[in-house]
Amino acid sequence: MFGRFYLTGLLVVSALGLCGCAAREVVPVAMVQSGDEQLGCDALKQQIADNSAAEQGYEAKDKEVERQNVAKGIGSAIPYAGILIGATTDLSNSEQVKARALADRNEHLAYLAKQKGCAP
Amino acid sequence: MNNTKAWTIGKFAFVAVALALLSGCATAANPGAMTVMAQAADQPFPAKLQHAMCVRTVSGGEETNPLWTSKVDNNGFKTALDGSLSGAGLLSSGSCAYPIDVNLLGLSQPIMGFDMTVTSHVNYKVYDSSGQPFLLSTIDAPYTAKMGDAFVGVERLRLANEGSIRESIQMFFDKLRASQPK
Repeated sequence: MFGRFYLTGLLVVSALGLCGCAAREVVPVAMVQSGDEQLGCDALKQQIADNSAAEQGYEAKDKEVERQNVAKGIGSAIPYAGILIGATTDLSNSEQVKARALADRNEHLAYLAKQKGCAP
Repeated sequence: MNNTKAWTIGKFAFVAVALALLSGCATAANPGAMTVMAQAADQPFPAKLQHAMCVRTVSGGEETNPLWTSKVDNNGFKTALDGSLSGAGLLSSGSCAYPIDVNLLGLSQPIMGFDMTVTSHVNYKVYDSSGQPFLLSTIDAPYTAKMGDAFVGVERLRLANEGSIRESIQMFFDKLRASQPK
């Protein structure tokens, strides 16, 4: 009976290993995009504002993911079931990557606005 | 197979696989393993960039917690990029005409797996001597470390981190080769 239990556990761990528990695909916004040079002051200002709002949202979500990961790390100490809990840990850093990318994008847009003599 | 034998085999196999996938202390990425080695067949860089570049800042890196996962820190990344620039004949020995700022946006890592794919997300910002941005590039570079590369999971993850940063620097170099500095 115990042998079957361990063999089942082995299958679960092996399946987790095979599936890879891959990180979520993350696509950060590029610093420079085609058409940037053609943006007027109003469009630049609007994009900067939109990006700042999105950045704050991602930062808040990133903190939430970190809290969940800590809880899952503690939960992973539970014998057997802990492996399944630990396997749901999110190390994609998706929100952090997106927030930082938006900050850099805004840096570039602010540079363009300055070049165009837009009012701050 | 009787129950006792199955129990023993099952127990050891379970522990071995679980340990291989999950255990071990994480170590930081090795700068030497992230450094791009110049190849004789590589396309040349624009003449203006040769011996004219330097790494001004690297931000966004994280220190490795041995009890958690392997990471890439700022100093390690800077050492790797300096070494890569030097090997490619781009690193300036005196005044730096094209400073580079690097922002490591983050590493997207798997929690476990036999084949582990890590994708690094890096912003490279190159400025010219007048301080104007000359090349701004966002590079996403995936790299997969396989079971044959390292049996222990944390070791495999470190190899994937290092490979991903190496790929990232290689892709950055490809952008530099295609650039037209003023």
